[in-house]
Amino acid sequence: MSGYNIVGQRVPKLDAAQKAMGRAEYIQDVKLPGMLYGKILYSKYAHAKITAMDISRALALPGVHAVLTGKDIPPKMRMGFYKDNPPLKADKVCCFRDEVAAVAAVSEQVAKKAVSLIEVEYEVLPAVFDPEAAMEKDATLVHEAHKTNVLKLPWKLHYGDVEAAEKDSAFVVEDRFTTTWVTHCCLSTSGAVALFDASDNLTVYSNTQIPSLAQKDFLETLGAMGLKGKRVRVIKPVIGGGFGSKLDTYAYEHIAILLAHKCRKPVKILFDRKEEFEATSTRQPTVIYIRQGCDKEGHLTFRDIRMVLDNGGRTSWGATTPSVMMMPITSLYRVPNVRYNAKCVYTNNTYSQAMRGYGNPQATFAIESCMDMLAQKAGIDPVAFRRINQNEPGDETPQGFKITSCGLAQCIDAVEKELTQGSPLEDGEGIGYASLIHVGGGARIYKSDGCGAILKMDDYGRVDIFTGGTDMGQGLDNMIAQIVAEELGLLAEDINVVHSDTDVCPWDVGAHASRSTFVAGNAALGAARRAKQTLLAFGAKLFEVAPEDLVMENRTVSVKNDPEKTMPVDKLLRKAHFSPGGTMLMADYFYDPPNENMGKDFRCNLSVTYSFGVHGVRVHVDKETGKVLVKNYVAAHDVGRAINPMLLEGQVYGGVIMGLGYALSEEVMIKDGQIKNPNFRDYKLFTAKDAVPIMAPVIETHDPDGPFGAKGIGEPGCVPTAPAVANAIYNAVGVRIKDLPITPEKVLAAIQEQSKGS
Amino acid sequence: MKPFTLLTPATVEEAVAMFGQHKETARYMAGGTDVIVKVKEGWMGPDYLINLKQIPGLDELHKNENTGELTIGSLVTHAMLEQSLLIRNEYPIIYDAVSNIGSLQVRNMGTIGGNLINAVPSADGAIPLIALDGTALLAGPAGERSVPVKDLFVKPYETVLTPGEILRKITIPAQAKRTGSAYIKFGRRAAMELPLIGIGVLLVVDEDLVTCTRARICLGVAGPTPRRAQKAEDLLEGKPVTATLLTEAGTLAAEESQVRDSVRGQAWHRKEMIRVQVRRMGIKCLDIINQKAQQTGRQV
Amino acid sequence: MTKTISFILNGDEISCDIQDHWTLLHLLREELGLIGTKEGCGNGECGACTVIVDQLAINSCLFLAADVQGKQIQTIEGLAVHTGSLHPIQQSFVDNGGIQCGFCTPGMIMSAKALLDKNARADKEAIKHALAGNICRCTGYVQILDSVEAAGRQMAGNQGKGAAAAKDPGTITQQSMNKKAGEVIT
Repeated sequence: MSGYNIVGQRVPKLDAAQKAMGRAEYIQDVKLPGMLYGKILYSKYAHAKITAMDISRALALPGVHAVLTGKDIPPKMRMGFYKDNPPLKADKVCCFRDEVAAVAAVSEQVAKKAVSLIEVEYEVLPAVFDPEAAMEKDATLVHEAHKTNVLKLPWKLHYGDVEAAEKDSAFVVEDRFTTTWVTHCCLSTSGAVALFDASDNLTVYSNTQIPSLAQKDFLETLGAMGLKGKRVRVIKPVIGGGFGSKLDTYAYEHIAILLAHKCRKPVKILFDRKEEFEATSTRQPTVIYIRQGCDKEGHLTFRDIRMVLDNGGRTSWGATTPSVMMMPITSLYRVPNVRYNAKCVYTNNTYSQAMRGYGNPQATFAIESCMDMLAQKAGIDPVAFRRINQNEPGDETPQGFKITSCGLAQCIDAVEKELTQGSPLEDGEGIGYASLIHVGGGARIYKSDGCGAILKMDDYGRVDIFTGGTDMGQGLDNMIAQIVAEELGLLAEDINVVHSDTDVCPWDVGAHASRSTFVAGNAALGAARRAKQTLLAFGAKLFEVAPEDLVMENRTVSVKNDPEKTMPVDKLLRKAHFSPGGTMLMADYFYDPPNENMGKDFRCNLSVTYSFGVHGVRVHVDKETGKVLVKNYVAAHDVGRAINPMLLEGQVYGGVIMGLGYALSEEVMIKDGQIKNPNFRDYKLFTAKDAVPIMAPVIETHDPDGPFGAKGIGEPGCVPTAPAVANAIYNAVGVRIKDLPITPEKVLAAIQEQSKGS
Repeated sequence: MKPFTLLTPATVEEAVAMFGQHKETARYMAGGTDVIVKVKEGWMGPDYLINLKQIPGLDELHKNENTGELTIGSLVTHAMLEQSLLIRNEYPIIYDAVSNIGSLQVRNMGTIGGNLINAVPSADGAIPLIALDGTALLAGPAGERSVPVKDLFVKPYETVLTPGEILRKITIPAQAKRTGSAYIKFGRRAAMELPLIGIGVLLVVDEDLVTCTRARICLGVAGPTPRRAQKAEDLLEGKPVTATLLTEAGTLAAEESQVRDSVRGQAWHRKEMIRVQVRRMGIKCLDIINQKAQQTGRQV
Repeated sequence: MTKTISFILNGDEISCDIQDHWTLLHLLREELGLIGTKEGCGNGECGACTVIVDQLAINSCLFLAADVQGKQIQTIEGLAVHTGSLHPIQQSFVDNGGIQCGFCTPGMIMSAKALLDKNARADKEAIKHALAGNICRCTGYVQILDSVEAAGRQMAGNQGKGAAAAKDPGTITQQSMNKKAGEVIT
């Protein structure tokens, strides 16, 4: 028994009924009076100079209100942290998705037609698509002014002495792994509506995961437009899936703002599915060279990783994923000597973004595949090998992460128990394991890792809580409601969670890094505690006892051990309100976790706590076709505490299937910079028919800093999936696939190669 | 979507006349699952869409118990075929093929006629109808004519239909006793796939239940049009069917195929799949034949 | 071309003017304001726009509005008007965690309804087959499949024993979506 009433309950998602009835309003459903429709024209080439542009035919089309080109973009307007991306490109294009013009018109149809009437002349330039080729001396430059294709980013660390450790190692393995582009595939496509009021204050409706940082980006845009000092309000409709895709602001949002200002009308830009595939950002692809060693007893001695990242033609958050890759590289298992060096290289391909796990799945694919290879070389069972090296509570990792709660050992036990229970392995079947570490208590990647919460209680015992956090389906609304209800002795249904509007919600750095339950949860808990304090102080006076003698439970405030002295909380609230000199219950709290920004050497305690997990999978490999069938999947996670086990399992199941897609079926196929499969027919998401049985044992380690002991669980589900599958395939048929996705072609080719050899 | 006028003929003759009036500015539409996508994407932009859905009788699905001939109207949907007990029990190759086309939603709309006339190399619907020696009945400005389904296709997206012609129905001759048939669509996922390769096998055996008297091996995505692998068929006919012989037939079928590399799959792997799946489908055919023989034996 | 059509929408007879090239999805969302039906791809590849036309689940993004003349259309809005009276499938999705971002939900529920109306005792394989055309990126389908299975159990219970026995679905024809069934023998 947890001793809690609401925390730990499988409370249905607060907005589920609304969504089940088709009442939830997404960006698709936002329609404002007088609204115009914007449409973007993209580049025809991967790399070209724009030599001429004629917009006259588009402008002449009836119903067209405005046409913008790169020349209309204020000079200082650049998107992305590397500031290499104007919303519309004036002189040259560096990838197919580069935006070159945009229109606003009375309907989508007219806007589409107008875009087709814009004539652009290009002078095609030689292009480069292979990041390793792009690093060569005489390679074509994607951005001439940058002088080199290698981005000036500091992704380089060395802790301990890798070379000395290698000399002392009994066993060493090395190999090359690659991961490719995959994409979020939110069922709701991206979109934004921008409008200005009569004083040039801006409102943007966007399905963003970063309302506060988007507000800041849009303020910069206003600044560049000469509108300094104006206000920006960001309104989030219901978000139809995030997974990291909306962690940056994008050209379509800034273009909608520019068009809305030019037309003095609301302008909506909504992507169609093809555009969603072609013009939103992917997971960062990687080339990974790894060396890893251990001593005779199987203790890891060193880990040495070099990576080349295809940055694409522009820079978004994909180029910063090495900062998170450092986490598994330095801290997954006890490894005393670590070296890591990553280069992000411009090419004329698409560019990458945050996507669930933020680099962790890529790095973990190489590390955990290599762990099995090393275990085999050392003659140690892969599970035993992991136990020898497992992280433990109290560890400090080479990067300076302070491990507090850590259930890795219990996760290994749980997965092994579940997976070895079934029938004996048949021919072609195999089992594979892989573990994960992820930030579970925020991740300080910005000046603040904080989140605010404002709470008010009405005369009827109900709570409105305004959080900076964002729900995009993952269930933050329930986390907040259940935490607040628990603290105030109310029911989850008594709590109205408002997270939709920067005009009323306080600041938050964004829905990323699996941080919302921990950070937004702690902020809500802080506000609830303050409200409770005030309420109990009032109650204490009323009952003439000390506040410590009062309890709030089941919507009542009572004196401990005195059942006579009790009052429904709504009555108490009314008494407080309507007494002379009355008071309304309001409280706020800003929780900024005591984690650390990375120093120059990247050493820090990035997160207050870390989440751990172990995945195990049983596969069947068809040796004649190369097809891999997942028979059974177990994903055990140390979550601190499950605030809501049902929603938690949903995060794990969803993560695992996304991870299985990454492992087996999904890839954005890019040839010469162009995406060949921008649709759900050829981008192979798992369907319901591909769904596999998943068990999700929950390990509760009661984190000392988490709200009611909880840690983050949004991303971990998809982190170790691919290496677990790759290890299982090796276990089944003895071939190791090092390039994702693991298609039947790759498996069969490897099997045939192997039989040639033997 | 570019606006068009929707015409709704009540008979095939009326439809043909409407086409004659509007010529190349008109397109026929059956289930619409393909035409509407093409109009939306701007790949075609007809001024007139002639909607065949309302024509009575085009969705007939029945077997003449006297002649054993099966009639499939061109407007029969994939779902109707999938859910018909007759198809499931007696024409497993059709069931295998249609039950995994697109999604159920698409199968509820998409028609067998549309699938054929669309003439994509991957048409799942074509393979079984070729294997079953089906004949297409066409109706056009010059009257009616019959074309074997195997001769319907010219190249990707092109059939032998002349402008204005409509596919009225497909007829399948009575199946020989001791017929087994099976189809597999090989793809990366369990559903919503266009096949990497589609393999249909139909075997008829002698009373000894092993000697092959007729073989049909039909391949999708193995060339510009759905096709038969005739060398492989010839190899099987007249011989006792064994796994080894089927592997040989599969190898021959793979050799005579014209598979290509594409985003959906690589040529060498497609060949391997033909090799392997011809054997597996052949064995499945034999299993079906043997099972039926046992049932008949029990009844007697 | 504009024409007037009449059909039954969520139990109510309605009549409205349409353009020939409108899809049913356009008619529902843009003209009738029924935003519960979603567009996820526009090409029949995601199932978010699924509605039921004469008992059959279809992609409303590929179905011409003109073709609903005389037919019975069910959309998500027709299942419940109040959270207190959710359809068993809706309630089951709520209770079993079948909903995260919710964008696929209306289509998913309509696909489930088309299946369970025919056969409330559909097993997991049959449910997977029927739902394969509805893409979900959030849930990994696990809780969706649980939701549909649980709803089926309840609907079968409500119908009483034997009431949900599967009819031969071969009697469903293209034209029966429109008028009386033609000569169909299976």
